[in-house]
Amino acid sequence: MTAPRRFVVDEELTIVTAADHRERLLASLGDGNALRIDLSGVGDVDTAGLQVLVMARAEGFRLGLPVEFAEPSAAVTEALALTRLEL
Amino acid sequence: MNTVTEAGRYLTFTLNGEAYALDIFHVTEILEYRSLTVVPMMPDFIRGVINLRGRAVPVIDLAIRFGRGNTVIGRRTSIIIVHIHDPSLAELAEVDVDDKDVTDGQDIGVLVDSVTKVVTLSSDDIEPAPAFGAGIRADYISGMARRDDDFLILLDISHVLSVSDMVRLSDLAQQPTVDRSPVEGGGIPAEPGQP
Amino acid sequence: MALDDDMREALDMFVTEARDLVQGLEEGLLELEDQPSGGETVNAVFRAAHTLKGSSGLFGLQHLVAFTHVVETVLGSVREGTLDVTPGLVSALLPCTDHISAMIEGLARGQLEPDAAQAADGARLLSGLEPYLMDGGAMTPTASAPGTDAEPQERAWRLELHFGEDCLRNGMDPLSFLRYLSTLGTVTDVVTVTDRLPDAADMDPESCYFSFEVDLVTAAPKSEIEAVFDFVRDDSDIRITPADSQLDTYVRAIRAMPENDRIGDVLVTSGAVTELEMAEALRIQQERAVREGTQPVPIGEILIEQGIVQRAIVDAALNRQRRTSETRSQDTRTIRIDAARLDKLIDLVGELVIAQSSTGMPNSSATDTSAEAQSEVMRLVDEVRHSALSLRMVPIGTTLRRFERVVRDVCMELGKEVSLVITGGDAEMDKALVERISDPLLHLVRNSLDHGIEPAGERRKHGKAQQGTLRLNAYHDAGNIVIEVADDGRGLDRDRILAKAVERELVAPGTALTDSEIYNLIFEPGFSTAETVSNLSGRGVGMDVVKRNVTALRGSIEVETTRGIGTTIRIRLPLTLAIIDGFLVGVGSSSFIVPLDRVTECVELPPGPLVRDCMNLRGEVLPFIRLRQIFGIPGHAARRQNVVIVEQSGQRTGLVVDSLLGELQTVIKPLGILFSRVKCISGSTILGNGEIALILDVGSLIADHSDRELLRQAVPVG
Repeated sequence: MTAPRRFVVDEELTIVTAADHRERLLASLGDGNALRIDLSGVGDVDTAGLQVLVMARAEGFRLGLPVEFAEPSAAVTEALALTRLEL
Repeated sequence: MNTVTEAGRYLTFTLNGEAYALDIFHVTEILEYRSLTVVPMMPDFIRGVINLRGRAVPVIDLAIRFGRGNTVIGRRTSIIIVHIHDPSLAELAEVDVDDKDVTDGQDIGVLVDSVTKVVTLSSDDIEPAPAFGAGIRADYISGMARRDDDFLILLDISHVLSVSDMVRLSDLAQQPTVDRSPVEGGGIPAEPGQP
Repeated sequence: MALDDDMREALDMFVTEARDLVQGLEEGLLELEDQPSGGETVNAVFRAAHTLKGSSGLFGLQHLVAFTHVVETVLGSVREGTLDVTPGLVSALLPCTDHISAMIEGLARGQLEPDAAQAADGARLLSGLEPYLMDGGAMTPTASAPGTDAEPQERAWRLELHFGEDCLRNGMDPLSFLRYLSTLGTVTDVVTVTDRLPDAADMDPESCYFSFEVDLVTAAPKSEIEAVFDFVRDDSDIRITPADSQLDTYVRAIRAMPENDRIGDVLVTSGAVTELEMAEALRIQQERAVREGTQPVPIGEILIEQGIVQRAIVDAALNRQRRTSETRSQDTRTIRIDAARLDKLIDLVGELVIAQSSTGMPNSSATDTSAEAQSEVMRLVDEVRHSALSLRMVPIGTTLRRFERVVRDVCMELGKEVSLVITGGDAEMDKALVERISDPLLHLVRNSLDHGIEPAGERRKHGKAQQGTLRLNAYHDAGNIVIEVADDGRGLDRDRILAKAVERELVAPGTALTDSEIYNLIFEPGFSTAETVSNLSGRGVGMDVVKRNVTALRGSIEVETTRGIGTTIRIRLPLTLAIIDGFLVGVGSSSFIVPLDRVTECVELPPGPLVRDCMNLRGEVLPFIRLRQIFGIPGHAARRQNVVIVEQSGQRTGLVVDSLLGELQTVIKPLGILFSRVKCISGSTILGNGEIALILDVGSLIADHSDRELLRQAVPVG
């Protein structure tokens, strides 16, 4: 078991980039990596973005790969507060 | 609100020996005299009510109303039923303006000594009412018509039988007065209805 | 606000009435301009304004209430003599009547609230009246008129938001909805449901899979919450239900609501369901009925099934509806009819058929017979009409229950807690009479709430239950219907009433009056003891109007009060238009009917001096009235006279008559307007022989007689 790979989500975590992020996350997990997703750079987040994050964790759980989230930006914190989601 | 006296058909009748006429337009029927039910505490000129097909219809004694004694019931005494609509009724205090009597008008019986006949008068026959001299209030008269060697007094029935006037008079009769003790065994006192 | 048919009908009546009132107001003002000191005119315009305000309040037309209140306040000062009528005042008031008229015409077109231009107009006119307002009376309406909406209650809602899969693609982000909701109120909890999120491989990152359960506490009405989701409604599933913790509140609110025969209206009015939701539920109901070819599922079931509202609320509304349909069925659609009355009507119709066929009989020998048959038909037609009229007797309960709404609204406005208890709603009276007594009763109810029942704090201080009780009770008594308005409030203050009456010059200082005479002063025109002028009453116009209206219906009114315990006002009305049991008596050639339920017994008049007007009845002194004498009936008294003993308000009086002719069923026929001023006669009836007999109004007869007696004793005849 290697250390979780750092996965940086930059600037936008919205419907515009969701497909992209999904591809990349699934690819990383497919490689058998645990993930540490750095959210510090996220400026914009929407439901589609949150869905991708939740999906990533569910997929990681299914594959037995820990997925953690780190350093949520203000935008992410606000979105989590709105939805009462815990990541 | 003086009615313009027009030529037309008039019902003539006599009252205390004098000849009167009223526009037949107002007359709905003529009845033989029938027994009256006296309504107490009313002015004397309201002789009472009769049963007209199940309705109580008031009967007015014009002789008393004109201050000429009272009509004595005789063989030819009749009751002329007229239909009156008095728009000023609605202005009376404590009168329900939705009352059917106010909106639809009411039937009133007029007690007369005898009904003579229906005459047709042309406007040439009719002269304006004299200011005085006819013996009754000028506003009760809508005109005079020459007939044979005498005059026929054409009555302005909406004034003579102004319901609102009569209600006001009956209102007065309701006031408790000391000297209004009735005459035991007396007839109907003949008193002038109007000055 | 959706108007159901009944409401619309009532509103039409209001509009008609209001037009007359505005016209009266205007005419009165113009008259005042000519004759500034016309006291009766001042009263008339004041009353017109007062009545306008009162009726508007009944319909919840707050803009009219608020506006008219100011006009009324100004007119009140004129009436009290503290403000003189000047051309300036009249010119300030006349445009106000135009404004009121414009608002009423708006109502006639279905516009329940003023438009912006009208509102601005109103404000401008009111500011024109400001110089005439003595004591900031103008503040009262602004402070109290919006009272009902000023502090809308906060309510808890459960929102279930299932957004459509495409909503993200359509540019709608659920997060922004959540964000917006928190501006509407307090979002106390959110659960984001992620169950629908598919496996990563199947997930379309641009579809929305999340749904949310939001608990929101807000003062905004449901429709406003609903409006938040206007743009996503079509492909989303949005459910807004009252939070479970609020169920009791709704159930209580629905129970307190005015009756309505449509459950939908009840639910929408309660705020639990929006009109949109109701429309949707109705659509589903219809669609399903068509598709399945079955009877429509009850709308309540659909609302529950759709998750729009909880069962407890629907059940409460159903109860409300059931009560409504029960009372309605007695009111409009069907009238409960005494079988005997119906039988009589059917008998009459039978007679009519026979009489009518005999008129058509070819009978050359007797034209007389034909005329007779004709008149028989006429008589029967008239009897049928009267018999049908007697079917108009309705229970008074429906009218009394309308006051639930009034009590609720007034209590809200006054911040009092009052429960309304209605008993005797089954007592019947003529429908026309019911309608005409409803306004006076409204005045009494308001008066009790406003002046009678104390605020909760004061009640607690006096060791009374915090919640006051207002009782409306109706019963039949001695040929009358009695309606009582009773409160458990502070009772009338004898001394204050007397002081006020002296101050208002209604009685001379130092006059010795009995308690009941003092209490009756509250019915005098211009009497009012209210310390503050409120939106409701306290202008001293209500009670004298009540008394006048009751008297006009040949009724009477009395007060019973105990300091600190409460006040009962009792209205006694005759059952006109009804068929009464009568007792026929003869005096000379006249016949009179005494209502049988007033008669306690009949005795022979003992011989005695003619001047004495009382007799010994088993050791008691019984005063009597000689009908022959007071009615001035000519002729001499019969050798043996009889006394009919009648009872009125616990007092027994004898009526001296010549003959007793027995009991009979009496159809009351009005005597007509010409006899409207006769006090002692309440109507007439046609006897079997075709003659008319007059029906005695026993109460007035006795009252009138004692008036005359007093006068006779006071003024020496000379």
